[in-house]
Amino acid sequence: MQRNRELVNFLPVLLLMVIGFASVYAARSEQIDASSLSYGLFFVALFVGAHLLLRLAAPHSDPYLLPLAALLSALGIMMIYRIDPELAAAQTTWLLVGLGLFAAIVIFLRDVRKLDDYIYLLGVLGILLLVLTIIVGDEVNGARLWIRFAGMSIQPGEFAKVLIIIFLAGYLNSKRELLSTTTWHLAGIPMPALKHLGPLVTMWGLSLALLLLMNDFGTSLLFFGTFLAMTYAATGRLAYPIIGGALFSGGAILAYMTRTTVHTRVDIWLNPWPEASGSGYQIVQSIFAISDGGLFGAGLGKGYLLFQSGETIIPALHTDFIFSAIAEELGLVGATALIIIYLLLSYRGFKIAIASDDGFSKLLAVGLAAGLALQTFVILGGVIKLIPLTGITLPFVSYGGSSIVANYASLALLIIISNRSNAGARR
Amino acid sequence: MNASIRRLFYVMAILFGSLVAVLAWWQVVQTDNLAENPLNTRKVFAQMRIERGLLLDADRGELANNRREGELYYREYPAGDLAPQLLGYSDPVYGRVGLELSQNDYLTGTAGEMELLNAVNMIMGRESRGADVSLTLDPQVQRTALGELQDLGKRGAVVVIDVETGAVLAMASAPTYDPNLLEENWVQLNSDPGAPLLNRATQGLYTPGSAFKLITTAAALESGEFTPESKFTDNEGSIEIYGNTINNWRDLPFGEHDFSEAFSQSINTTYAQVGDRLGQDRLIEYMRNFGLYEKPPFDLSPDEMVASGRYEEGGLASPADELDPVQVAWTAIGQENVQVTPLQMAMIAQAIANGGEMMEPYVVDSISDFDGTIIKQAIPTVWKRPIEAATARDITGMMIKVVNEGTGIKAKTDKVQIAAKTGTAEVDGRGPNAWFVGFAPAEDPKVAIAVVIEDADAGGGMAGPVARKTLLAALGL
Repeated sequence: MQRNRELVNFLPVLLLMVIGFASVYAARSEQIDASSLSYGLFFVALFVGAHLLLRLAAPHSDPYLLPLAALLSALGIMMIYRIDPELAAAQTTWLLVGLGLFAAIVIFLRDVRKLDDYIYLLGVLGILLLVLTIIVGDEVNGARLWIRFAGMSIQPGEFAKVLIIIFLAGYLNSKRELLSTTTWHLAGIPMPALKHLGPLVTMWGLSLALLLLMNDFGTSLLFFGTFLAMTYAATGRLAYPIIGGALFSGGAILAYMTRTTVHTRVDIWLNPWPEASGSGYQIVQSIFAISDGGLFGAGLGKGYLLFQSGETIIPALHTDFIFSAIAEELGLVGATALIIIYLLLSYRGFKIAIASDDGFSKLLAVGLAAGLALQTFVILGGVIKLIPLTGITLPFVSYGGSSIVANYASLALLIIISNRSNAGARR
Repeated sequence: MNASIRRLFYVMAILFGSLVAVLAWWQVVQTDNLAENPLNTRKVFAQMRIERGLLLDADRGELANNRREGELYYREYPAGDLAPQLLGYSDPVYGRVGLELSQNDYLTGTAGEMELLNAVNMIMGRESRGADVSLTLDPQVQRTALGELQDLGKRGAVVVIDVETGAVLAMASAPTYDPNLLEENWVQLNSDPGAPLLNRATQGLYTPGSAFKLITTAAALESGEFTPESKFTDNEGSIEIYGNTINNWRDLPFGEHDFSEAFSQSINTTYAQVGDRLGQDRLIEYMRNFGLYEKPPFDLSPDEMVASGRYEEGGLASPADELDPVQVAWTAIGQENVQVTPLQMAMIAQAIANGGEMMEPYVVDSISDFDGTIIKQAIPTVWKRPIEAATARDITGMMIKVVNEGTGIKAKTDKVQIAAKTGTAEVDGRGPNAWFVGFAPAEDPKVAIAVVIEDADAGGGMAGPVARKTLLAALGL
């Protein structure tokens, strides 16, 4: 039975959570108060609740998704708690909201195919959110990703991502036959008719607009990469990723040549050292922190992350750079374990896609899994200087309400897709 | 669709694999390199839990001590802006430089010699602390030297060395700064065109001008072709060498004169001819004898020392580089591409004062652990023997004349006989560098000095009084 397996999967997560909080507390007991350990208990209660909900509302759903997400959230709260116990309280509240939306989707939506009727509405909503960000958004580090609303900072891009994935799943599913038809060959690769490249060019234009208007390479790469992955899954035609990759490279070069923010980001990616106390400070300090972790890490709570004043050495440590903190305190071993957790989570997503029996659900699962994996790659690649740095969150781990809520919504969609196909398989 | 979904997962797996590979590069392959990177303050921070040893001046006054905050020790510098470029700083944000960097293993008690002591302390339950570093720096002399530079309001440096031992008694660099306010002033200190963080004494490269004639004179006297009495004529105030004109200062003609007058009046026309006669090989040989083309052996990190010598395209030229005769003539009068540090020039004065023996300069006198046991004591050591004692005596005689009746007259005092060579080195685009390189007392030398003042007027004019007052302070007169 799936749910008993899930319960067993939760045991190591809860154990790790207890050990983690205890070791952070032991290492930093001078600075932090024992009452803050109650976040740990609250966390346990939340996931026991989510587990019970699934027993009732989605008994056949995938038994790995929730424990893996819980593990990531636990690690995130632990690190945030270690950086600033007050932020951990806020993060726990956002987790409550995220799991609330998760529950609502599982209980009320039940079947993702209902969304297929509203894909254009959802797609337009997604685009509007992005447009809104561009118009009223605040610039942070040169990138325009945040809007302020009722005293809160919201990252609409996180929600837009989910909405656009839903739209693309519906759209690609309905146009699948058409887009798969090939009429000519280029270097031996079957190519679709030029008139059917419309969606590709449209998405490319949207990504390019994101890049040029938001000055953010990562968000753009994430949107376009997810789109290409879904198109490839839908059509099986390599032509799309190849043409798309070429178009995207062209756009990136254009942005590099015309936008100073993009230019600076690429330059400090190539060589941050001369700018170590200026524009390259963040990435240089990130590299120092990561390398300081070595093979086994400094130990939870023992890394050199904060100044005496309590300010973080790396700006945005609890959001974009949380992985640097994890890599310093848990070492290569812990960081690799974290990467494997993400790989497992995306593996479950792709597996749910394969097991699913209708095109829309399949493509939606692919989009969510690919989106999760790509987002993880873009931010981790950025903080370890594999690719140019960009300001997006590490799913489930980074501090931030928008990110948590959007990620648990995605998780709920995967849960209900798997619940339906597993239930079908049992019948 | 399922086949392409599987392929997509493989692509993601490859991307994630590349993340792990890059992580392994930083966390395993590069970890030691990055820990030692001077931009990385992690090591400094970790060592802030150790009570650092003190830096003490020659009178056992505290130049650097600690303030405790929680479990961390913060460095304080009671002498303020007296010698920050030499002492350096130890800061959790900006890292370490100066003696705080080079003596760090002793100051933190992590030097090899201290391992046994640390182990004993641990067994006895005593808290370890770093060893105290006692310097040869004389606070009065240092204060005089720095004060004189500051009174002029000019950039420059003064180095004072004990003639017999090579001990550095003063090493002043202006403009200076207060290391206690490092964090508040960091941006301004780094953008200040006066470069207050730079240790001009060991890292400032200056055209020596006529002060270089000390080396040319040594080479000439030891060639056997010249004596202090050798006769020269100069009726023009300028001379044509291979089609290139070399002028005396203000084109003054000196008529009939001997070599020692050419030295005391700093006659360029004569020195250009002497240089031409000596040729490149002998000139370069004596530059190397006097320690040019090498970083002086000193107590600072090699990164904070620069070698003197001929520089080309921003780097030290090879001494073997072929020069044309015009370059040789210009080199003989200390122009062309010769660049020297104030420390190097003080060492040259010290060698002449010490009968031709150049001592290794040092500023760390002794290092003692906190119960007073000396774990390291400086031993004066001869570094080079650039010239014979007889040559040193001849040059000393010529240097006395400089102060008594030549270009160094402004340094003249009844209290002690000073011997020196001045220099006014032309610099493109601003006023010349004023040099004063000498020692006192001339008959029984005790202290050697080099003074350089940037953007000054003629040689003895500005640097002479600075040198005189500093030498008198050093001799207690």
